[in-house]
Amino acid sequence: MEINTREKTDVIIFDIEGEIRRSDITDVTLHQLVKDQLDAGKRNILLNFQNVDFIDSFGVGEILASYISTHNLGGKLKIAKISKKLYLVFQVTMLTKVLEIFDEEEVALDSFFKNQ
Amino acid sequence: MAKNLLNRILSHIVEIKPGEGPIASLLFLYFFLIMFPYGIIKPVRDAQYLVEVGSRELPIAYLLTAVFMGFFIHFYSKLQVKRQALIISSLIFFTVTCFLSREFFVQRVSWIPLVFWIWANIFIVVLGTQFWILVNDVFNPREVKRLIGFFGSGGLLGGVLGGLLTGSLGRDRPDDLLLIASGMLILSIFIVNYIFIWQRKNKPIPDRPNYLNKEKTKGPTKVGFIDCFNTVRKNYYLTLLAAVVTLTFIVSTFIDYQSKTIIGIKVQRIDAMTEFFGYFHAGLYVLPFLISLFVTNNVIKRYGIGLTLLLFPFMLFLCFGGIAFWPVIGFAVAIKSSDKSLSFSLNQYVRELLYIPISPELKYKAKIFIDMFLNRFAKGIGALILLIFIFLPPDPWQRRVKIVSIIAVVFIVAWVFANLKVSKEYTNTVKQKLEMKWDRGDRVVAEKMDVDYTKLVFDTLESRDRSSVLYAMHLFDLIKQDKLTPEVRKLISYKSDEIRITSLGGLFESGETTLVPETDDIISEEVLEKDIKEIMSLDVYKEVMKGYIDKVLVDKTEDAETSKMEVAKAIGLMESHSPLAQKLEELLEDESPEVSKYAIESAARLKRREYVPTLIHKLHSPLTREDACAALEKYGERIVGTLSDYLGDPEEEVGLRKEVASVLARIPIQDSADFLAWELAEDDEDMDPELIDALDRIRSGKPDIQVQKEIIKTKIFKEIKKYYQILIKFYDAESKVKKPKMSEKLSENLTASMMNIFKLLGLIYSHEDIFRAYQNIRTATKDSIDYAVELLDNILPKDIRDVVFPLIEDLPLEERVKRCRTLLKAFPKM
Repeated sequence: MEINTREKTDVIIFDIEGEIRRSDITDVTLHQLVKDQLDAGKRNILLNFQNVDFIDSFGVGEILASYISTHNLGGKLKIAKISKKLYLVFQVTMLTKVLEIFDEEEVALDSFFKNQ
Repeated sequence: MAKNLLNRILSHIVEIKPGEGPIASLLFLYFFLIMFPYGIIKPVRDAQYLVEVGSRELPIAYLLTAVFMGFFIHFYSKLQVKRQALIISSLIFFTVTCFLSREFFVQRVSWIPLVFWIWANIFIVVLGTQFWILVNDVFNPREVKRLIGFFGSGGLLGGVLGGLLTGSLGRDRPDDLLLIASGMLILSIFIVNYIFIWQRKNKPIPDRPNYLNKEKTKGPTKVGFIDCFNTVRKNYYLTLLAAVVTLTFIVSTFIDYQSKTIIGIKVQRIDAMTEFFGYFHAGLYVLPFLISLFVTNNVIKRYGIGLTLLLFPFMLFLCFGGIAFWPVIGFAVAIKSSDKSLSFSLNQYVRELLYIPISPELKYKAKIFIDMFLNRFAKGIGALILLIFIFLPPDPWQRRVKIVSIIAVVFIVAWVFANLKVSKEYTNTVKQKLEMKWDRGDRVVAEKMDVDYTKLVFDTLESRDRSSVLYAMHLFDLIKQDKLTPEVRKLISYKSDEIRITSLGGLFESGETTLVPETDDIISEEVLEKDIKEIMSLDVYKEVMKGYIDKVLVDKTEDAETSKMEVAKAIGLMESHSPLAQKLEELLEDESPEVSKYAIESAARLKRREYVPTLIHKLHSPLTREDACAALEKYGERIVGTLSDYLGDPEEEVGLRKEVASVLARIPIQDSADFLAWELAEDDEDMDPELIDALDRIRSGKPDIQVQKEIIKTKIFKEIKKYYQILIKFYDAESKVKKPKMSEKLSENLTASMMNIFKLLGLIYSHEDIFRAYQNIRTATKDSIDYAVELLDNILPKDIRDVVFPLIEDLPLEERVKRCRTLLKAFPKM
């Protein structure tokens, strides 16, 4: 798994590539990366799943831990460009009840600043 | 330059902020110019009525005032003009009618004493209410609370000087008095006009009432008397407020009646009485003037709205009680003095403050009904009660005063009760103004989804390509939890054709299109679970499996990983006392995080005590941390003691101790809170944020859990001190040293420290209220910040308010730093 970070209109975007699996984690986890951004005062986080093929339960744990850390500080964590298959999994497991998921990155970015 | 000088002068008297000096002074002057004429009008009114009509007929004057006030308010509420025009035209009306009254008095027109009585009451109600509405427009609630004593003292100073002038001219030149009053009112017109000009330049005042502007295209909406009445009736808080005002003025009517009865007997001539009332009212205004200027703010700050509201009825209760038993003039004077000094100062201001949480639209309507109509109507009710003395044979005045006192005491008891209700409802109303912006993330997740089930589905999907045994065991888990829904079946059969299930005796043999069997037709889940348990408890099974497990455990090949995962998962299905369960310890220590993860899950099912140390050490690695945390949470309260040993062990790595704190937070019992609080008392800066967050998590879910107040209070002060120090450094970095990176880091530290302060406050005060306030301070508008501060003002004790408010109130950075430096010097004493 590879994670690149970029910033757009006050939103930190994590472009994730590969599979979010326990076995693929090297030195730093997704949750740690999110926490670093929160510590730096960032409050809007977008996870770009365009190139994510699969996640396991560890990956789910990482996403939820990141969501909780962000939410506790009054921030927002959202997901964009998730595959149909993964979206179906998210639906069945009710992750969609908690996580906001968008088809397009631009729409996701806009959503951070609506109703503020 | 001149503005700065004005600010500097005023800052010695009142807590005034930069830029507020000119407008505060104008409002002070405006109130002075209304109350100065009233200081003249009131003695003239009283003297004329008491001498020409008599004190026994006072109830008629009260009653007629109430009736005419009703008509007047009905007419007034329908006026659709801009606020500036409304106030100025009112002032012109009262100037002209004041002048005309003087002419009627000179010509000794017989009906003028009664008409003047009614007119004088309308005068003070209309001009007083207009003044307070304007104050509310110009300043926000927090500013009003800070400056109210200053404005009020302007009015009282006017009252004192007007009264003194009346006292000195009352005997020799009584006819000139109303001329002077008219002149003062003309001056007030210019001041009001200037206030509006100033306001237009600085911040626009919304027109009256605000919501009318929204419908400009449709033409103005009429706000009738009924509309104002309904607004109050439909709002519980406003109804309580109306009850408080009604009771206040009924009691005030009794006081007025008593004092005038006594004075009417002692003084007979109009000029002498005008002189007497002039000095009497001037004297009565001196005390409230001093209270307004020097006491009001401190009393409200120290005791809050609730206790301040009780002060007035308590004093009157004592005086009425005194009169009831010893009906002497001394008590009558004392009661009148108490009434005037407190009703013009503390009570008036607290009543204005009670309007703070009301929206501008409601406030405007409520003020028209309550402050303009209801207070006079209440006097009418008081008058109706007093009417009994007109129909009764003339008694000695002492007896009348005694009966009135007894009746008054009954009303005071009801008044105290209404005050208690309204102060409680005040806090609730402020709270309603503050929207809860977010809940704790862990609670949101826990409420909206089943994390264990979610992970199970993912594990099932993941295992499908890895091992048919693991896959089957996951399916079994889903069946056991009754979660193998049609949706899940569809999901796990999605695009998968590589695997065929071979385990569990073909139970899960799939057809051509799906990998998930229709188990309902074959076997029920209870039977299935029972069968599996029975198999696993067979001695022969244990014997066979022991050999297999031993073989797997020593296998160092790559393929062994999957086998170990299967074994780890299978052990979790066994009974906890099974000898095979001992093998789990080795699997927990396995270097593969995948194997470890399955072993952790099984450990959580079996809950054997010997796994606990290994599970705690699994908190080290981010790869196993969350699973270990969840497993330890499932052990529940029986491992809280063990966890606390790790938490308080300075030999353990800080990172591990922090994770232990978060596990304790997931076991929300009193013991967990106690252990965390004790650790917090150790003052380990590295540990503090995690300990505070853990305690916060416990309190947010279980508000009934108590955290040791002394420890937390000490910590609050330390954290605030730390915040002050960071803020001062930040200010220096911004303004003197110009180190942007340093100030960026300090800014982050300030945010973290502020959050810790509020989390600590939430541990010993209402968690929900504290976070409602915090979230609004962090993210909301200026008004929300003011309401948040107002809420905190009502729930925090003074010693904490004094050090917290400089951090959250709307202040320029320089001023904030200045206050922090001053408070920092006082910290060692705290």
